[in-house]
Amino acid sequence: MRSFYAAMRRLLHAVLLGLLGAGIVHIAVLLLVPEFSERDAWSRLSMASDLYKMTRLDAEAGGAPVVKSVDPLFYATACRFDLGEGMVRIKAPGHVPFWSVSVYDRSGHNIYSFNDHTATGGVLDAVVLTPAQMIDVRKDLPEDLQGAIFVEAPIEEGIFVIRAFVPDDSWKPIVSRFFEQSSCELQDF
Amino acid sequence: MLKNAFLTLLSLAIAIVGGGGSVWYALKLQDGVGAIRIGQWTAFPDIGTPSADPYSKARVAREGVLALGRAEGLSFVAERDAGGGELKRECTYTIEGGFPTARFWTLYAADQSLGVVETGKPRLAALQSYGVVRQPDNSVVISAGHHPMPGNWLLTDGFGRMYFVLTFYDTPIASSTGLSDVSLPRIVKVGCNA
Repeated sequence: MRSFYAAMRRLLHAVLLGLLGAGIVHIAVLLLVPEFSERDAWSRLSMASDLYKMTRLDAEAGGAPVVKSVDPLFYATACRFDLGEGMVRIKAPGHVPFWSVSVYDRSGHNIYSFNDHTATGGVLDAVVLTPAQMIDVRKDLPEDLQGAIFVEAPIEEGIFVIRAFVPDDSWKPIVSRFFEQSSCELQDF
Repeated sequence: MLKNAFLTLLSLAIAIVGGGGSVWYALKLQDGVGAIRIGQWTAFPDIGTPSADPYSKARVAREGVLALGRAEGLSFVAERDAGGGELKRECTYTIEGGFPTARFWTLYAADQSLGVVETGKPRLAALQSYGVVRQPDNSVVISAGHHPMPGNWLLTDGFGRMYFVLTFYDTPIASSTGLSDVSLPRIVKVGCNA
């Protein structure tokens, strides 16, 4: 009988130890998921296209949407950039009912966002750069960057997303053209 | 000796299966840390920001979400009606009430993955504020169901669980201080055709 109790106590000990371990594993896995995920937005985009290339996120362009749960009344496009190579300039001429822009870091966190009311004349012209690059640019601001919105982001790799509202079907060609004319370029300085 | 090995293995198995499984379960839940509830509507104002909690961060990484920024808008998701029942695609609902200040809003019926419900028709299962009829007091009454209805009709289709996603764009409520005295429309079940 005594040996039975002893065995039970050891079993209980093992189970408790296991539960404690489960807690540790839970925290470890939770913190490691963002590091090792191959399904995050960056990985999905990098499978679809190269750096500095505008990629449609909605299903309208054909195929499954690259990034899920985009509002069905919106079109969205994204490009990946690497500030380690230099600052990046995003332009989209033309007017649509509403556009908004977000800058995300490598792991998909929203760092900065603005919409068409922020921009000069409602035209999308933005430059993303690191604080160090900003200091260089401030010294001698080029003529054609005067009207641009500067987004200072303390990151290297990131994602730039433009979303545009499509109120009804008649706006679809206009918004599609807005995206086709958009550009995402490494800016020499 | 063999008993010791068995106990060690048992501990390890509980640790790994329990730890991994609990993370998987926690990430599957729609509800979560950092949620703000207003009536039947839930929003995650912090999701996708660097200040989000670890669960939101893991969910963002696993599902490849690119969340709306504060200057863009704020999304609310409803999974239950005012009576507390789960929203069903085969049921008819009335969504009525006032909407908070925003440049415009969109409302769509969504499936489990929060993608828009496939209707198989040219009409989307979505409405937007520029295209709705308003009551004299500026409130809006929307009927959601399979069959056309007078007033504002949100087309739905199919069977199974459904979610309503209501997104406000360019809105002061996206800054967290604005969320305290916001009221959102009620979702009332009208009936079901099984």
